[in-house]
Amino acid sequence: MDKVKSPLGRSLIHGFLVLFAIYSFIPFFWTALQSFKSLKDANSRTPKFIFTPTWDNYTDLWLRAVPENGATIAYFLLMAVVVLICLLLFAQYIPIRNGVIYAFVTFGFIALLWGIPRLVETAKFYDYFINTIIVTVGTVVVSISIGCLAGYSLARYTGMAGVVVLVAALGFRALPRLAFILPYYWIGTATHLLDTHLLVILTMVAVNQPFTIWMLRSFFMEIPRELEESAMVDGANRLTAFIKVIIPIMWPGIISTALFSLLLAYNEFLLVRLLTQTNWTLPVAISRFTGGEDPRHLTLAAASAVSATIPIVLVILFFQKNLVKGLAAGAVKG
Amino acid sequence: MKRSTFFRFAAPSIFMMTVLMVIPLIMAIWLGMQFMTFANITEPQFVGLRNYIDVLSDGRFWQSFRFTALYVAVVVPSTIVIGFTVALLLDQVSQFTRGIYLSIFLLPFIIVPIVGTLMFKQLFEPSGLFTYLYQTILDTKFRYTDVSVKVLILLYGIWYVTPFALVTYFAGLQTLSQDQLEAASMDGATRWQKIRHIVIPHVQSLTILILLISIMDAYRVFDSVFVLSEMNPIYKADTVMTYTFQTAITVQRLGKANAMAILTVVGVMIVLIPNLIQSYRQQIEER
Repeated sequence: MDKVKSPLGRSLIHGFLVLFAIYSFIPFFWTALQSFKSLKDANSRTPKFIFTPTWDNYTDLWLRAVPENGATIAYFLLMAVVVLICLLLFAQYIPIRNGVIYAFVTFGFIALLWGIPRLVETAKFYDYFINTIIVTVGTVVVSISIGCLAGYSLARYTGMAGVVVLVAALGFRALPRLAFILPYYWIGTATHLLDTHLLVILTMVAVNQPFTIWMLRSFFMEIPRELEESAMVDGANRLTAFIKVIIPIMWPGIISTALFSLLLAYNEFLLVRLLTQTNWTLPVAISRFTGGEDPRHLTLAAASAVSATIPIVLVILFFQKNLVKGLAAGAVKG
Repeated sequence: MKRSTFFRFAAPSIFMMTVLMVIPLIMAIWLGMQFMTFANITEPQFVGLRNYIDVLSDGRFWQSFRFTALYVAVVVPSTIVIGFTVALLLDQVSQFTRGIYLSIFLLPFIIVPIVGTLMFKQLFEPSGLFTYLYQTILDTKFRYTDVSVKVLILLYGIWYVTPFALVTYFAGLQTLSQDQLEAASMDGATRWQKIRHIVIPHVQSLTILILLISIMDAYRVFDSVFVLSEMNPIYKADTVMTYTFQTAITVQRLGKANAMAILTVVGVMIVLIPNLIQSYRQQIEER
C-alpha cells in the first residue's frame, strides 16, 4: 500500500502501534516487576513501581539453600553462558569448521547443565527444567527426522496414497487432544511407561506429526525436482540424493519447522499433565503456582513465569526470521 | 517417485500415526463403553452405551459446550479484525521500526500458554495493576465472578491469538500487486476503496486459512481456562476440554471422559468433513 504522508496521520499510526505494543507487553512487564518484589511490596494494594528489588523469589524457586559464594558462582555461570552464546553467534567468522564449534557449544551447555547441581543445591524446579529440555530436544529430533522423510516423499509422490495420508493428517490435527491422550494414559498404565520421558516424547511426536509433515512438505515443494534428478542420473540412489543434495539446501525450512515443533513441545501442558506424576515439565510445574493457599504463590508464580520465558525468548530472538517465515510460508500452526 | 519408494520414506511417519493416532482413537471408542476409574483401570467393567447417554444428558456438558461456542464466536472474529487492522498500520511504517514492533507483537504468541495466562492473571490479582486501575476508574471492587472470569478468558484468548493473524496478514500484504494499486490511484480511488476492493480480496485466502486454524484452536482451548477459572465450578466457565479433563481427573470417571472425547470428535468431524473433502479434491487437482 502507498504510505500515508500527512504528519498527523503518521503520528496517529505510530501512536496506535505503540498502544498495541503496550497492550502486548504489559503482562510481561508487570510480572517481571512483581518477580523482583518482596512479598509485602508485591501484595500492596496500590501498585508499587519504586521498590528495593530482591532476588529472593528466584533463589527460592531454583535453590534449596543459597551458598555463601553465590554471587561468584552466578557470575561464573553467566560468563560461561555468554561465552557459549557468542561462540554460536560468531561461528562463521572463526576459522574452524562450524560443525566443530556447534558440537563444542552443545557439549558446553550439557556440561553446564550437568555441573550446576554439583556446584549448588538446586531445588525441584531445576529438575523440571532439565525434564523440559530432555523432552523438548527429544521431540524435536525425532519428529523432524521422521517428518523430513515423510514430508519429502509426500512432496514428490503424486499417487493416491500420498493424498490419503495428507488429508488424514489434516483431520488428526483438528481433533481434540484429549481423544488421544486418554487412551495414551491407558496404554501407559498397561505398559508401565507412565511417568517416563520415553512415553511423553513418543506421544508428543505423534501429536505434532501431522503439523510437522504438512509444514516440511510445503518447504520441500519449493525445491525443484531437477536437483535430485540430476544427482540420481549421476548414479546416486534416492536416499543418498536426498541426504547429500536436498537436506543441505533445506536447512532454513527445517529450522523453521523445528522451531515450531520446539514451541509446541515446550508449551505442551495437557499431555504432560496427564502422562506424568513426578517427571513434570515446566508448564505443569508452574501451573502448581496458580491460586495456591500459600501467600508466597504470587511472587513465586511471577518468578517461575519469567524463568520459563527467558530461554524461549532467547531462542526466538536467535531465529526470529525463521519464525516469521514459517508463519508466512508454512500456513500451518500447532 | 515410485509408490514403493514413497512407502519406504514415509514408513516411520505412517507407523507413528497408525500406532499412536488411529489405534488410540479406536481404543477411545471402546474405553468409552467401560465403567472405569483409576482403581479398576486394568480390569474395567463393560457398560455398553451408558456413558454416552450419560454425557448427552449431562447439563454441565451442554453448559461447557455453550461456553466453548461463545469463545469461538467472540475470539475468532476479534482476532481477525484486530490482526488485519494492525497489519495494515504496520505496513505503513519503515522497515526498521517494523522489526521492533513485530518482535514485541509476537511475544504473546510465542510464550508458553500456561505462563502467558499466569502473567495475564497477575494483572488481575488483588494486588494487580488492572485491579487497581479498575477500582480507581470505576470505583467498584474487581471481583472474580462467573461473568468476570469468562470475560478474562475471552480477553486472554484475543490477546494470545491475535499475533498469529497479524503476522499472516502482514506477510500477505507484502505480496500485493503494486500495479493494481497504482491503477486504482490513477482512477482516483480513496484509501478506503483500495482496502475494500484490492487488499481484502487479495488476502481472502489467508482469511479462510486463519479462520480454519483459529477455529480449530479455539474449540480446543484448555490451558488458559485451566489457569483462569482454577477449575472452580462456581464460575461456570468450563469449556468442553476442561470439563472432560475434570471428569477424568477430579471425578475419576475415565470411561465417561473417553465417551465425552469421542462425542467431541464426532461433533468436530461433522464440521470438518466438508473441509477435508475440499482439501482432498484440491490435492488431487494439484498433483
